[in-house]
Amino acid sequence: MYQFFVRRILWMGLVMVMVSIITFLLMHQVPGGPFDREKALPERIQKNLEKKYHLDDPLLKQYLDYMYYAFIPRVTTGEWKPLPENDHLINLKLPIGDNAYIRWMNFGPSIKSASRTVNDIFRDNFPVSAKLGGAAVAIACLIGMPLGTLAAIRKNTIFDYLGMGIAVLGVSLPIVTLGPLLRYIVGVELGLLPPTGWGTLEQMIMPSFTLGFASSALIARLTRASLLQVLDEDYIRTARAKGLREQLVITRHAMKNAMIPVVTVLGPLIAALITGTFVTEIVFGIPGMGKYFVTSIGGRDYPVIMGTILIYAFFLVFANFIVDIVYAWLDPRIRLS
Amino acid sequence: MRNITRVVLLVLLASMLVGAFGISGAQEAKVLYVANIGQDDIPHLDPGLAEDVASIQILEATYVGLTTLNEVTVTVEPGIATEWSVSDDGLVYTFSLMQNVPWVVYNTDSGAVEEVKDADGNVRYVTANDFVYGIKRTLDPNTAGPYAYVLAPWIVGGAEYNGGSGSADDVAVAALDDYTLQITAPKATPFLANIYGMWMALAQPQWVIDEMGDAWADEGTFQSYGPYALKEWAHDESLTLIKNPFWPGTDYVGQAKIDEIVFLLLEQSAKLAEYEAGNLDFMDDLPTADLDRIRVEYPNEFTVSPSSCSYGYGFNTEKEPVNDARVRRALSMAIDRQAITDNILKAGQIPAGFYMLPNLTAAPSQEDYPDLAIKYDPEAAKAELQAYLDEKGISVDELPPITYMTNETDLHKSIIEAIQNMWRETLGVEVQITFQEFGVFLDTRKNDAPQIFRYGWCYDYPDAHNFSGELFRSDSTQNDPNWVNPEYDALVDQALTENDPDVRRELYAQAEYLLVNQDAAMAPIYYYVETQLTKPNVERTLSVIGRERFEKWDIK
Repeated sequence: MYQFFVRRILWMGLVMVMVSIITFLLMHQVPGGPFDREKALPERIQKNLEKKYHLDDPLLKQYLDYMYYAFIPRVTTGEWKPLPENDHLINLKLPIGDNAYIRWMNFGPSIKSASRTVNDIFRDNFPVSAKLGGAAVAIACLIGMPLGTLAAIRKNTIFDYLGMGIAVLGVSLPIVTLGPLLRYIVGVELGLLPPTGWGTLEQMIMPSFTLGFASSALIARLTRASLLQVLDEDYIRTARAKGLREQLVITRHAMKNAMIPVVTVLGPLIAALITGTFVTEIVFGIPGMGKYFVTSIGGRDYPVIMGTILIYAFFLVFANFIVDIVYAWLDPRIRLS
Repeated sequence: MRNITRVVLLVLLASMLVGAFGISGAQEAKVLYVANIGQDDIPHLDPGLAEDVASIQILEATYVGLTTLNEVTVTVEPGIATEWSVSDDGLVYTFSLMQNVPWVVYNTDSGAVEEVKDADGNVRYVTANDFVYGIKRTLDPNTAGPYAYVLAPWIVGGAEYNGGSGSADDVAVAALDDYTLQITAPKATPFLANIYGMWMALAQPQWVIDEMGDAWADEGTFQSYGPYALKEWAHDESLTLIKNPFWPGTDYVGQAKIDEIVFLLLEQSAKLAEYEAGNLDFMDDLPTADLDRIRVEYPNEFTVSPSSCSYGYGFNTEKEPVNDARVRRALSMAIDRQAITDNILKAGQIPAGFYMLPNLTAAPSQEDYPDLAIKYDPEAAKAELQAYLDEKGISVDELPPITYMTNETDLHKSIIEAIQNMWRETLGVEVQITFQEFGVFLDTRKNDAPQIFRYGWCYDYPDAHNFSGELFRSDSTQNDPNWVNPEYDALVDQALTENDPDVRRELYAQAEYLLVNQDAAMAPIYYYVETQLTKPNVERTLSVIGRERFEKWDIK
């Protein structure tokens, strides 16, 4: 057990390093740079900018510097000005000396927004995305699981067809269509909810639903298929043979095992949704992190590309780690070793 | 008796309450909700670093330059410099600044705009030294301000300092006293007062920049002195300006009439939804697909006005077959510009016969110079191409392949598809269309441009030089057609230092003729327009410079 955790954490670290190397190489490989403009800047201005952001250093040095500032904690003493380059996510005061701090995780500046850093994006935008993504996952499960279960236990009845009909609708109606449609009908024509914005409960309803609905379809179909399979197993027959009520057979015996494929999908899904979703955020004007995944690449904002990819990678490996633990709990035959 | 006393007391109390509310009702803050600065976060609120319309819009509301630009007449007006004098040789500009204009900052705790004080508790007033500091910081190579390149050539020592070879001390900007600023230019030209009034030549607050570096220009620490102050900046969501009561107001830049302006950062269709839901007072950049409907539904709220940008196609004059002027002229004359503005763009864009916008100082208009401008002429186009083919002894099918390239947006795509068709039908020329991601496209265009590529330009300051000398002079960074014509260089150089506006206009007309007609290094297509929706209870000016002057707006 203990061994399992240590090994997994080491693996996670290795995965993160590999992701950072690949991302770094790819983004520098793409033609263009952060200072390309429709109105091209003169060469001397480009040079000044490259120097300011250390893009004139050799690539290896740039990479090592980045990793050093991002992941190696350092101790500082003395005066500490609130300059963008001094911005660390974690600052712990040490009991020794004058103004001594351990500072950790400096993900660099945002080249596009000079007064902000990648850490600012994590601090301001990530919580918004996490809240939206969390609400969407909850909605996806609340719609998807009951629909799927109902469809499975009432197989080939009107419930099955209706449930799967909704699922097909969810899969085939992309957010880019459903979002503006809802925004127009509910927000503008009916005036029931604010069309855009973030902060109040009313503003959360439409985007969370839009985002959750698409995923709920996936979960409903998975739940149905998996539950149908489990219901054919021997141990279910045994449970029925010993006279258990059908309701108990489903909830106590079948459900737990049927959840394994669903949990497998939920892990990466949660990681993807809480780190931000581009279309939903743009359609509903939400200040989340999702659009940075896209705009940073378009603008070749190197530190922001690295930051967003790394945070997504972190949540992805972390979610998979949790999924493995949940497996063991759902199915005693699976052991953490 | 006791009851009566109670009733009297209650009535008194109630009337006092009503009175109190009545007064506060009358003083209710005027708040304007607008969406005219795009969907992404505003990049910089730092005068030394700003380079995009959104940032400049906020800077022009919170700061006042030495001079300002009238948004309707596009002429230079006094800003914080109430007057200025120019030496006889046209090189030395001496500005007299307004006195007692304090730097202000919005105090989040007290909820009010406050004067900035120094360590001794004295109010910091805007002085000539703040301008000296601001200008030198913009030019400092370590600041790496993108727009330093527009300012640097117009101050003695500026280009050297910015290029890394000179020093700050040799930059010829000086404070003669607290309220007198002197700038010396290396070359006299009519638009210097314009340049010195731009955002990168604003005063900057050294004390806070020394402390915080680039991080100063954000909520809570952003200092300014113009009609508005920065109240709140919810990144990626909204930005709120609040009236600065300490800006004294002048005839040209008055005190703000609206108490707060909330800028919402929303995507095109999202802001239209908010406008239609009644939550926005003003928006721009209307979706083309909705224009026909908007015209019918909101005839009194919809406005179209000239903008600061021009759209066209460039030819790489080094690649076959467009290395021959006749082919380029043929392609350019086969474009039916009116059909494009009428059927695709639909907002009243103007077909362009010259590349430079007609409302710039000293710019020619196609109405005044119809023979010099390029225009749709299918017969002449066919003749030009035929002359080329005859000389080469080839048929049109044997023409070397021609590629057009752009980044992919709906607008660029529908325009080139229409033009591709015009070329096919008029000339029988088949042009290949290639799309690249925006950054890759810019890179390709700069380093190895295909035969034809999309081109666009918005002026920085409203003078013809910004659309010619800075663009197509043979040594310009922007000269993607790689076009060299010494005659053109000589014309724009002469126009640069000429003082008589009519002579200048004539020179620029000749230069544009070489560019778009004789050599046809590029094909102008249309002039952009601003499409906007404004609620009827908003009093406003109709700006043609691409930014709004919100201090002149009011809510009825």
